[in-house]
Amino acid sequence: MKRSQRPTVVAVLLVLPLVLPLVLLGGCGVVARPDAAAWDDRAAQALTDAGSQVATVRLALASAGEGRTWSSYTTVLVVQAEEAAGRAEEDLARVQVPAARADTAAAVLDLLDRAVDLVAEARARAVAGRYDDAGLLDDLDRLEGDLRQAAP
Amino acid sequence: MKRYFAVLLGILTAIGGFVDIGDLVTNAQVGARLGTSLVWVVVVGVVGICVFAEMSGRIAAVSHRATFDLVRERLGPRMGFLNLVGSMLVTLLTFIAEIGGVALALQLVSSVHHLLIVPFVAVAVWIVLWRARFSSIENVLGLMGLALIAFAVALWQLGPDWGELATGLSPAEKPDAESWATYAFFGVALFGAAMTPYEVFFFSSGGVEERWTEKDIGVMRANVFIGFPLGGILSVAIAACAATVFLPAGVTVETLGQVGLPVAIGLGKIGLAVVVLGFFAATFGAACETGLSTGYSLAQYFGFPWGKYVRPREAAGFHIILLVVTVTAAGVLLTGVDPIMVTEISVVFSAIALPLTYFPILVVANDPDYLGEHVNGRVANTLGVVYLVVIAVAALAAIPLMIVTSMGQG
Amino acid sequence: MVSLADRDGYDVGLHLLDRQIIGADDRLVGKVDDVELVLDDDGALVPTALLVGLPALLPRFGRRLGGGLARAHRLVREAAADQELPLVVDFDLVEDVSSEVRLSEPAPGLLHRMAHERAADPRRCRVGDLLGLPVRCAALPRRSKVLDLRMTGAPGRPGEHRVVALLVGPGRPGALFGYDRSSEPGPAVVAALIGWLHRHARVVDLGPAVDIDTDAGVVRIGAEASLAPLRG
Repeated sequence: MKRSQRPTVVAVLLVLPLVLPLVLLGGCGVVARPDAAAWDDRAAQALTDAGSQVATVRLALASAGEGRTWSSYTTVLVVQAEEAAGRAEEDLARVQVPAARADTAAAVLDLLDRAVDLVAEARARAVAGRYDDAGLLDDLDRLEGDLRQAAP
Repeated sequence: MKRYFAVLLGILTAIGGFVDIGDLVTNAQVGARLGTSLVWVVVVGVVGICVFAEMSGRIAAVSHRATFDLVRERLGPRMGFLNLVGSMLVTLLTFIAEIGGVALALQLVSSVHHLLIVPFVAVAVWIVLWRARFSSIENVLGLMGLALIAFAVALWQLGPDWGELATGLSPAEKPDAESWATYAFFGVALFGAAMTPYEVFFFSSGGVEERWTEKDIGVMRANVFIGFPLGGILSVAIAACAATVFLPAGVTVETLGQVGLPVAIGLGKIGLAVVVLGFFAATFGAACETGLSTGYSLAQYFGFPWGKYVRPREAAGFHIILLVVTVTAAGVLLTGVDPIMVTEISVVFSAIALPLTYFPILVVANDPDYLGEHVNGRVANTLGVVYLVVIAVAALAAIPLMIVTSMGQG
Repeated sequence: MVSLADRDGYDVGLHLLDRQIIGADDRLVGKVDDVELVLDDDGALVPTALLVGLPALLPRFGRRLGGGLARAHRLVREAAADQELPLVVDFDLVEDVSSEVRLSEPAPGLLHRMAHERAADPRRCRVGDLLGLPVRCAALPRRSKVLDLRMTGAPGRPGEHRVVALLVGPGRPGALFGYDRSSEPGPAVVAALIGWLHRHARVVDLGPAVDIDTDAGVVRIGAEASLAPLRG
């Protein structure tokens, strides 16, 4: 070994044992296995994200209904919200649920599922140019409230 | 008369040119999550960019040297090169974000997926850089960027509770749901968005290209001290619009469409159309500026002919760089990376890269060899040192905050 | 903007290296990537040319990094074998040095490639080779290096041009940021901080006590040499 390389090697050997456990503990494995508290955080994040998307869709549809946006703008907004809501659900669904949260998880994922479905329905209406459905806006409103309540 | 017109034009383009994709996205995000409680950072950032731009504008006017000439002259080839690489990477990141922003703005009009628009935008940017005259780029796009004033009008039409907005200005009014780490992270991001380094590279290189002399210092100061703060007001208007519409609804801003939504609610289709035009102009203008800035930086470091006033044949190296960065930017965007995420990263790294160029400029601005009687006065130096500290703190805090808050998620 | 002609002597690293070279026709020629010095018959180091181009710039990146980069450059430009040598601008062509180096002739056809025998001439050396050389001196900290070279005269002016003194001290060349001269007040805080960091730096006049040994890559300063503080 060249003399000049020695400090580098020593540094790597010193740092590795410090960093590795952190990586493992940090949940960077193939499957994220958070403990109950960490899972709660993730669930709250997913619910907040989905709530944000539902609210966006509601705002977009409401202003489109009043003729305040043009159709392509509304479409882009709603489609992007749909994608983001789907991502929020998938991200949480892929996390290993801690045993203590099995029941909550089912409820939360169910709620997220409803959000994704409703946003998809809203997207279908928006693309078809039917913005004037008061019932849909009410549904979105109610769901937004549910999501907000579920997120602590 | 003509002179006044020139001054006015300069100020107007400085206002329109101040806002870019970083300001649009970051201000809307901050407004939606933290209300107006971070407006003070915009003020700090605007004063900072004024201090920074005035110093480098003065150096450009008196000594005809632009940013990276000075960086290399003061730091030597080795440190200067590290500095160049760091600054160029950040500018490239901003360039990618701006091109993505143009594509997103066009997507809002056409509903064509932005990935399909990116190649056309890249080609358009390159053609403009290759063919168009420097002043026309700046003036046309800067004036079109003024369309973003619609945010201020929309805010007025939205009729927010002004008292509430005003009390929200205090940092103590931070929404309880957000942690102080998130608050600090967005503070750094907002600071980086207001003080993007390329603005200064471009400003000083432009001064050298337009052959400013000591006589132009007055006009330059008018542009900086009137134009940038008014541009900052646009930033604040964007944040306030988001705070009015999104904060109560619990919406976080993740798309450019959301950024414009408050204007649609406040002003309807026409206002929205004006704002989307503003998005396009601001991002396209900034794309040209960042693209040129990468070419300027490299050419200034190596000393080969640069600029839009030299014929392309003579500034071949400069134009090859422009072509390479444009292709690179389009390539990165075509991987499908979200331009908004690139923007979020770019504003944070702007804050990190700021000390690299700020410090040499501050030193040279005190050097009578370059500036003669125009060296920094007491006010400029006091502010200069204060901002040296502010910029250093923001740069050091950026990475830890980014990790702790996972880019503002937590 | 102050021209070097207005001052009495100058520092090569600070005032000349890395400046923009501009032809008489206002075209950008390149940067002063290095400066060539010749060891005169009477032992004086005299500047003879500005060197331009990557072959002049890359070695200044430091021994290890610069060497690697220079090798890489040679590999890439193998087709043009003479390109491993820098371009030369004769010192006589320099008309004025301010924040730029102005030449007395227009840019086209001005630069010529350095000849091989000139590059091999043992009496010639480059400022870039001297900057950063370790300094052995009992009165200075052990990590001291050559920080800059002080010259008399001004480029483009008649009279004597030669290196008269060395700036030596711990740190690396360029890290003084120009705060070594009393003419520059700077923001007081920054000036004070850099002054403190470089409190051990000294100016040493060239003379019999100073031995610049380029072969061994070291500068030896005898006990009898006079070391003056930077400012004052």
